[in-house]
Amino acid sequence: MDRRDILAERPLESGRGFMPAVSVNPSRLLFTAGLTGRNPDGKLVAGGMGPQARRTFERLQGVLSRAETRFDNVIKQLVYVTDLDAYNASGRAERAKFFGSRPASTGLVVRRLADPAMLIEVELVVDLGGSAGGKPLLEKYNAENHGGEFYQGVIVNGGRLLYLAGQVANNPDGSVAGVGDWRRQAEKVYENIGHVLRAAGATPASIVKETTWVLSIESWGPARTPVRRAFYTGDFPASTLVEIPGLARPEFLVEIEVIAAIA
Amino acid sequence: MPFSTISTPEAKPVANYKMATRMEGGRLLYISGQVAWDAAGNIVGKGDMRAQARQVFENLRGVLRAAGGDLANLMKITTYITKLEDFPAVAQARSEVFQGELPASTLIVVKSLFHPDFLIEVEGTAAV
Repeated sequence: MDRRDILAERPLESGRGFMPAVSVNPSRLLFTAGLTGRNPDGKLVAGGMGPQARRTFERLQGVLSRAETRFDNVIKQLVYVTDLDAYNASGRAERAKFFGSRPASTGLVVRRLADPAMLIEVELVVDLGGSAGGKPLLEKYNAENHGGEFYQGVIVNGGRLLYLAGQVANNPDGSVAGVGDWRRQAEKVYENIGHVLRAAGATPASIVKETTWVLSIESWGPARTPVRRAFYTGDFPASTLVEIPGLARPEFLVEIEVIAAIA
Repeated sequence: MPFSTISTPEAKPVANYKMATRMEGGRLLYISGQVAWDAAGNIVGKGDMRAQARQVFENLRGVLRAAGGDLANLMKITTYITKLEDFPAVAQARSEVFQGELPASTLIVVKSLFHPDFLIEVEGTAAV
């Protein structure tokens, strides 16, 4: 491990259990999907924010264990909640039980998660350390049998990370494709991701993590499924899906950002 | 810089940011979402997006410098705002702070940030 905490002494973040920034020598990294408080049967755990938060971190612990790592090695967390007061009242304390060290962190209040009753979703980036030598570039795995079209963990062994800007349904001339048309925007966004990946020497199978921001999960679901299946052809990344009230232009219905890795 | 820039004529940015960046070496730096706090923990520019945005980018620069880099080391930023109408003020502040091209970028309007007075939060990933 070669982790460095940046500005570790700054009191603002330490009071809240995170770090302004963390740097690592990126030999082996784990990206998790955004996980929520679902039980093994897929149903959301009862009892609101506290139990949902505890269950979310228990499930993340399972994903970390499969990669033989633990919360102390998390370098970045992203916490999405739909109810900030509930998170402050009972979610934050649950989180604190799992973390010893302080990762870099971003916290957001969003409009909706995959299920309207979900109050919290958390995704992590973890420094696994060790040598990448001899291992496949990407190891994608599930810690649970969830049936969804994503992997719960993707390990990147060496290689070069590729960060794409959030892709929207814009044409090369700057106009918006598929105004008001969810299916057309889904096609255009994945088409644009494909173009950028190709330009970087990558393919859809190179994608490690996908974050999808939509104005309506209800409308997005049916529009995206066939388009996304055709794009990934079974080789899905870790993913997160979040509903938010707006994107950079009012015509945009969806924005997808991806992180990929190439040798 | 320990990263390269990817562009393609088929997919173009909608503003002055890069379409993608590829890390080619150095250390990977994950920066927490920065908000308009000053060093003492006071909120700067309550109700004033221009002032908050400037403070956020200064904080981002401060973190990067502490890690041995600067804004030019950023590969990717994500800007979260609470009102789309504020976007022009954010764009203005960004072009004041960034000399030349921005990193790869995502802009999202969220319901709120982790304190009701925050209007903007920016997180970054850098190679230093």
